[in-house]
Amino acid sequence: MSSMSDRKAELERKKAKLQALREEKDRRRREKEQKDAEEALQRASAASSLDSRRDLDEMLSSLGVAPVKDVLSSLSSMTSLTPPQTASPDASLPHTDKSSLPLQGGAKKPAQLQVVSVQSTDIPPKENVTYAKQTQTTASGVTELRDGYMEDWWRPRKAHATDYYDEYNLNPGLEWEDEFTVLTFDGDAARQGDDEDAAFHGKLPPGILPHGLPTVKEVQPAVTAAPQEKKEEEKEKKVRELSVDEKQTIMLSAEFQRFISRAGRVIERALAESVDIYTDYTGGGDAENALDDKSDARLSLVRTFYDERWSRGRCVTCLDWSSAHPELMLASYHNSDDAPHDPDGVCLVWNTKFKKNTPEDIFHCQSPVMSATFARFHPNLILGGTYSGQIVLWDNRVQKRTPVQRTPLSSLAHTHPVYCLSVVGSQNAHNLISVSTDGRMCTWSLDMLSQPQETLELQHRQSKAVAVTCMGFPHGDVNNFVLGSEDGNVYTGSLYGQRAGVSDCIEAHAGPVTALSCHCAPAAADLAHLYLTASVDWSVKLWSSKENKALYSFEDSGDYVSDVRWSPTHPALFAAVDAAGRLDLWNLNRDTEVPVASIQAEGGVAFNRVSWTPAGTHVTAGDDAGKIWVYELAEHVAQPRHDEWTKFVYTLQELRNNQADEESDRLSLAASGPPSLTSLTSLASNPLR
Amino acid sequence: MATEVEETIKRIQAHKGVMGVVIVNHEGIPIKSSLDNATSVLYAGLIGQLTEKARNVVREMDSTNELTFLRVRSRRHEILIAPDREFILIVIQNTSD
Repeated sequence: MSSMSDRKAELERKKAKLQALREEKDRRRREKEQKDAEEALQRASAASSLDSRRDLDEMLSSLGVAPVKDVLSSLSSMTSLTPPQTASPDASLPHTDKSSLPLQGGAKKPAQLQVVSVQSTDIPPKENVTYAKQTQTTASGVTELRDGYMEDWWRPRKAHATDYYDEYNLNPGLEWEDEFTVLTFDGDAARQGDDEDAAFHGKLPPGILPHGLPTVKEVQPAVTAAPQEKKEEEKEKKVRELSVDEKQTIMLSAEFQRFISRAGRVIERALAESVDIYTDYTGGGDAENALDDKSDARLSLVRTFYDERWSRGRCVTCLDWSSAHPELMLASYHNSDDAPHDPDGVCLVWNTKFKKNTPEDIFHCQSPVMSATFARFHPNLILGGTYSGQIVLWDNRVQKRTPVQRTPLSSLAHTHPVYCLSVVGSQNAHNLISVSTDGRMCTWSLDMLSQPQETLELQHRQSKAVAVTCMGFPHGDVNNFVLGSEDGNVYTGSLYGQRAGVSDCIEAHAGPVTALSCHCAPAAADLAHLYLTASVDWSVKLWSSKENKALYSFEDSGDYVSDVRWSPTHPALFAAVDAAGRLDLWNLNRDTEVPVASIQAEGGVAFNRVSWTPAGTHVTAGDDAGKIWVYELAEHVAQPRHDEWTKFVYTLQELRNNQADEESDRLSLAASGPPSLTSLTSLASNPLR
Repeated sequence: MATEVEETIKRIQAHKGVMGVVIVNHEGIPIKSSLDNATSVLYAGLIGQLTEKARNVVREMDSTNELTFLRVRSRRHEILIAPDREFILIVIQNTSD
């Protein structure tokens, strides 16, 4: 209903405006005619020189100013009451034109000089007005753009917005004038400055219409009154400063939070990029040399990820990489003794692409996060397995650091720490597999975390539960898995089928198995049976699921080996970290006795986790103090040559041969005393290329 | 939740070379600033206008397009401007070091 009346009012206003324009046109035509007639008359009267005052009057009237005698009469009546002609320019303009000119013939001789001086006093204020205008127009221009012509689509339409729009279309010049008179003069000033206004508009160039139209006055209650108030209010708002409370309200609004998280991220990235596009190469380039120094190193520290608030003193428990955005790394952290009031579990998402050294996302929950993974096929979801047994789900689209979903703590699901978490399957059929240390394996659908789809008790020969510490699925396999356990054994099993559960047990290590990594280099289906285990017994072992014996044992480390990972691109390369803060890179094609490269972290930290960037060019290692170290590999170390695969197969065969030789040696050693010559030759034939 | 805002701003401010952070609402009023009042108001007013202008420029050229970021580089400073629907985040960075 209101819109109807609005429209009606608008229509009315438009009509009035048209009327005003028409009348203005008429008036101007009349004026011109008059002037022409006058000029003709003047020529006819053969330039009567005695009429200097008439000339003056004419000049004044041509400019639209009241002629001399009018001003005089107004001056005389000033003492009693202000006459209407001078009070409102709207009325005085046409009035003077029509009424005063015919009377000009009348001989009236007041003191002319006086009159001129009065007129001249009007000029300075006029100039004052223009000055005020200029300062105002810049501001008014902005509001005008907002309200009318270039209306912002997102802003709620103001009631009077269309007025300006129409006005603008009808007569841009008029619109402009109108706009700033409304803005320039508030009530009192307008009344006061009317005389000056009249004088001013008398001097306007012919193209621009004076704002003081008689018709505008008629419509005033409908058109100008309301917007004028509104405008003034807006102007006031501009000047006004927000109070502390108001600022606080704005800062607490959800929109502001969203804005800050978005804009802050962008700004931080922009700040972190230190590329100076104004680098001047004409000068001496001495910054170049510094870079060349370490180009020779096979492994070099490039950066660290550390957050004073969220990662300090927290052991890194898991590292994972996003498949949708390969530059994003997820790190989960244990609790910190230094920060008892902060949440126990923290997950941070770090960005390796931008140089900004703050996390991209921060998530936390009440229990320490023992394992975390990006939900494959759901780029926005992040999953965490906690110490309490809950599995939590975060969503980076939500402005929330706490989990958006969590599994219940019930006997149906986990009640022990979840050390293993993995999304297995394909785009259309995938499940979340989680294993807790009490040997329970749960299969979840990401759409329903209220209860597991399946649970499997991992037991070996119905004796006791397997205390699982790590899990691996061979490359491309969704059914068979390998588990490392606290008792030092490695178990293999399958998820589905008749014999679901643990099927085999291998006595692998003398201490708890800390990590397990299945071979994952591409185009190597025939290598998928290989996996590595690391243990607190200071060793890393290479296994094949086809055999029950270790293919090889790497015993170079002098401390607990806490994690081991195959390179995602190089078939014979893997990284291992130990509790002494050492990172080792092994290339089985080069050497099986010593790592091809190793680096010691500074500060006496112990590494807990290691991972590769999806491109295989960087290794990241998480330590026990909350820092993640990013190491860059030299290209010749990271990138496999085309013959690495065949070479690796050859190496494996050689390892098997050695193993067989050793076996037979041991047998023969048991049978006869001294070691035979064959064992020596077999040792010498170790792949040392 | 407000702590996250504080955290973000503190992080930005802690960045090397950052001289000031100002957050302005769409009316050009500074909501939060690390500078003194007069400077904030000055920046808020001027950059508010500039952003509005830039926004219009982008939209005039392609009505489906929208301004997302603005960098003003001068001999002494660089002003990074992240505009949004309702707010503008302004960071003044020293580039002359």
